[in-house]
This record gives sequence, structure tokens and C-alpha cells, in this order.
Amino acid sequence: MNEQKMLLSKIKKYDFTLKELNLYLDTHPNCRRGLAMFQKYRKLRENAVDEYTRKFGPLTPDQVNNSERWTWTDDPWPWERR
Amino acid sequence: MKLDLFDDMEGLILHERENSMGAMEMKLNISNNGNDSVSRFPAKTPLAMAYVPFQQWGETYGDDEALSKGTLFPELDLPFSGGGDSR
Repeated sequence: MNEQKMLLSKIKKYDFTLKELNLYLDTHPNCRRGLAMFQKYRKLRENAVDEYTRKFGPLTPDQVNNSERWTWTDDPWPWERR
Repeated sequence: MKLDLFDDMEGLILHERENSMGAMEMKLNISNNGNDSVSRFPAKTPLAMAYVPFQQWGETYGDDEALSKGTLFPELDLPFSGGGDSR
């Protein structure tokens, strides 16, 4: 697995864990352990997304931080990835 | 139906008491360990009603295992083992 795929799979795992915690916290809004874990994974995800966008470009259009070029439409498109 | 059960009223009462004690112990034992004040079951559980236990914070899978299992919580990792022709 190349670095890009590895980072993407890490982000997917963090996203899933965060969604699970999101659903748990919806019904347990005062659970400190759940909240702590949510914060931990929020940070992990943030770092992974930062690293990904720095190295491989934006995952979503709002992550384009280039004032020279609209990098969102740069190749490869998701279906062109190998 | 075992009609002779009703002849044994004392036995029946004992049986009933055991049942309710079981429920009581269940409520007390499963204390919440996640700083959440909601217990697993309501304090009062009238008969003929269905109850869904309220989740308590417990073990969690790592993010890797969670995604592959489809849940973060081992308690909720309940793969469907039925299906097919059950005859």
C-alpha cells in the first residue's frame, strides 16, 4: 500500500470511529470517557487530514488553500486512482 | 400447561420472588461506569412491556478493528448468525 492509500485508510478509520462516538454521545451527552475519546480521535483525524491535503491535495473543495491554482480538479480523479 | 404448579402455591411464590430478585440484582450490579447517570434499565419495569437496555460505556475496539467489525463497541458486535432455511 502506498503512502497515499495508507493515509486515506487511516482517515477512513478515524471517520468511522468518530461517527460511532457521535452516535453514542447523542444518547450519552455527559459521558466523559466518550467525550475524551471523541476529542482524541478528532485530533488524530485533523492531523491525518492535514498531512493528506499537504501531500496529496484536497479531499473536499473547502480544503483548497492555494491562491494560485484551483487544485480541486487536479488529477487523478477518485475513479482514476490506482 | 402444568396445572399442578398452581397447587404448589408456596413454590410459586418462591419462584416469583426469585425472579424479581434476579431483576433487582441485575439493576444494581450493572452500575454505570461511564459517568452517565442513566442506568441500564428503568427503575420500574412493568410487565408486558419490552425494554431495550441502555448502553453503558465499556470496552472499545481500536479504530482498525472497529471499521472491519462495523462497530466501535464489542458489546454491539453481534453478527447475524441466522438466515437460510431454519427447518
